[in-house]
Amino acid sequence: MASIKPRRWALGCGAAVALALSAAALAAPNDVGVASAIAGDVRVQNNGAKQAHQAVLREHLALADRVSTGARSQLQVLLLDKSVFTVGANARLTIDRFVYDAKGSSVSASVAKGAFRFLSGGRGHAGAGSSIKTPVATIGIRGTIIDGVVGPEAVAIARGENKVPAGLAVDPAVATLVVLRGPGALARGNVTPGAITVTAGGTTVELDQPLLAVFVPARGAEPIGPFKISLPGLGRLNDLILPRTAANLPGGGAMPYYPPGTGGRLDPFDPFSDPNGPGGPNERPGGPGYTIPGVPIPPTRPAPNPGAVPAPQAAPAGAPGAAAPQDSVPPPVGGKPPRGN
Amino acid sequence: MRGFRFVIAAGFLAVIGAPTGAAPPGSFNAIASAGDNESIGMALARRQIARGETVDALATLERVIILHPQSMAARLLHAGVLCLADDRQGSLIEFERLRGYSFSKAQWAEATAPCRARTGG
Repeated sequence: MASIKPRRWALGCGAAVALALSAAALAAPNDVGVASAIAGDVRVQNNGAKQAHQAVLREHLALADRVSTGARSQLQVLLLDKSVFTVGANARLTIDRFVYDAKGSSVSASVAKGAFRFLSGGRGHAGAGSSIKTPVATIGIRGTIIDGVVGPEAVAIARGENKVPAGLAVDPAVATLVVLRGPGALARGNVTPGAITVTAGGTTVELDQPLLAVFVPARGAEPIGPFKISLPGLGRLNDLILPRTAANLPGGGAMPYYPPGTGGRLDPFDPFSDPNGPGGPNERPGGPGYTIPGVPIPPTRPAPNPGAVPAPQAAPAGAPGAAAPQDSVPPPVGGKPPRGN
Repeated sequence: MRGFRFVIAAGFLAVIGAPTGAAPPGSFNAIASAGDNESIGMALARRQIARGETVDALATLERVIILHPQSMAARLLHAGVLCLADDRQGSLIEFERLRGYSFSKAQWAEATAPCRARTGG
């Protein structure tokens, strides 16, 4: 018997250690996910806390925690069901409700300001009842990729869209632009074609095709749309969601110039052609930048080398990032963001 | 006593020896931390693409791009995955912006394959 007792004790200790480790690995009851990517100034104010603290990578986030980003900052929140919120600079995000069990998941979140993207987790089956609230609208989610922005940037983008009436009364503090990005009906993989509803001012609008957008200009106003967002509008929205990333691109993140008459098509030959391959734009008459006559893009750069940051190029007059002519795309709101970390 | 020592040793190693990056592949922690390293993140994204987890691959690549904004390779792959999600216009914008960089033919071909399959080009 004496030789058995230590073994029992050891097994007990092992079991206790295993349980402790398992418990540590599991999320606390109110945990909804983690801060999976952080760039710049990102703060978290835990529910009930008087002050916000600087977020750290993979910090656990709980229900009702208020997450905010500063200027030129980005955050990605990975929820336990693998859904993802990405928010850009000067954004405010709160996860209000999160249900995740064997039957599925659903999430309700609030975006008070700033640009955001939501990607449904797992195989894109966001559960019934998932929603994102802004000060002026409620977005109902059904397996989807959504981009949106709340605030003056929404107004700036909307004013560039033909379907948004000129002279529209707006509240820049809360105006909301929402764009369905996908997945589209031709998406491949284990995905469900995306669809959303946007409810505002007592009216609900359904968006069921990629790039359909709605704009809600003020509290109590009905949604304007759906309309198909322009390429420049889509690009500007993307830059708001990933501002630091945009700053690393040629032209400092400014949108490419779309010459009149191109119908928004960026390359009149083949938009996916290898720029350095036979017939590619870098080998056509005019060399690099030929795809946009009269508007040079930065010269060909060395092959990407992890850790190496390409040097920025000053935008020449008339080029992306420079003073825009009448029918070109204006620079992003707030001007050119500084690059890099 | 040998069993006793083994259990204690195993428990000790489990407590102090388990680095964050040692999470089982596919687990939440592994996915959350994959973006820390550009190569690991891109490898995970490629596995997700192969499994048909298109939206998850987009999320993974966005994670890499946020943490490594200089990674043009991740951006290029991300542009191609947008095509997989049938976001062709978003993909066009990304490819156009990346034309200023010189990628290898293999990189460009891999990224644009989903877009070409869509168009038959």
